[in-house]
Amino acid sequence: MIPVTLRITLIFAVISYFVFILYYLKNKMLELKYTLIWLAAGLVMIVLIAFPELLMTFVAFFGIESNMNGLYILVLAFIIMTLMTLTSIVSRQNLKIRILVQELSILEKRIRELENGE
Amino acid sequence: MIFTEYTTALKVREAVVLKILIIIPAFNEEGSIERVVNDLTERFPQYDYLVVNDGSTDGTKDICNGNGYHVVNLIVNMGIGGAVQTGYRYAVNNRYDITVQIDGDGQHDVSYLEEMIRLIEDGRADIVIGSRFLGTEGFQSTRLRRTGIVFLSMLGKILTGVRVRDITSGYRVVNSKFIHIFAQDYPADYPEPEAMVIAAVHGGRILEYPVVMRERKTGESSITIKKSVYYMCKVTLAMIIRRISFGIRRQK
Repeated sequence: MIPVTLRITLIFAVISYFVFILYYLKNKMLELKYTLIWLAAGLVMIVLIAFPELLMTFVAFFGIESNMNGLYILVLAFIIMTLMTLTSIVSRQNLKIRILVQELSILEKRIRELENGE
Repeated sequence: MIFTEYTTALKVREAVVLKILIIIPAFNEEGSIERVVNDLTERFPQYDYLVVNDGSTDGTKDICNGNGYHVVNLIVNMGIGGAVQTGYRYAVNNRYDITVQIDGDGQHDVSYLEEMIRLIEDGRADIVIGSRFLGTEGFQSTRLRRTGIVFLSMLGKILTGVRVRDITSGYRVVNSKFIHIFAQDYPADYPEPEAMVIAAVHGGRILEYPVVMRERKTGESSITIKKSVYYMCKVTLAMIIRRISFGIRRQK
């Protein structure tokens, strides 16, 4: 069983976590589609704090020694997922930047030629 | 009437000359770029060329602009693959039929150009790679590098069934089909072996043509010994992943 004090702390932590994300979203410092995985992680945390029995079942199912370890594994899994999402976003943007630079530089040549009256 | 139509048709057919573009990627090649471009324009005034200045930090840009060369100045450094791909994009935009890529450091001898291009024109190959290992003359690179190249060459053979002995050669003639493919999809860094796999899985007929390469006179090779371990790992993985992803796509 998760101690009550820990549960209270976790609830506050998750609430401030959501407040932070919403604050960034409101000020357009984050784009919603990139925060979906963060929000999903927060929701799972809330569910687990509200219904710790779920965590127990999860921990028992996978044969993990203690509840806290189960929690750590969950958190770790979310962090890895988030990192993978970020890497994929970076890669996609890299591709876009590449096309952008190439086409822009080709256009610059065209403009230079037009200015020289070729 | 019919006769005149026939003769005009003939004339039109004669007028259709394949447009050829020579792509010269250059990164910090201020010491050699003039020699390479002048050599090319003197000997082959009939071919168009395009220098792709890959965000050089030396005087390459000033030299090219000052001499009025055909040059695309990439506004940031993109790596050799990004530079070469710019050339392919340019070729697509301007409807070129054949492109040749040669290095900006002057190690590729343009004497072989006409014969290599003729192989494409005659439809005997889709891609012609200038290979220094079909002969034994000229600059053959160091023993360590040759070992690496043999390994990559064998890997290419295992993955695609096509053996390209000088798989890292950047001296390549490409026809219209592969200009379009490479314009869309070309590896960013250390691109040559991976590009060969792309070409092979697209059913390209790859021919090697024996050339003699010179040792570079100025500038530095892009692959230092420190980077060579990274190079081998990256290129090996990239080739395998290329092959696997095409294998999956083909089954659809």
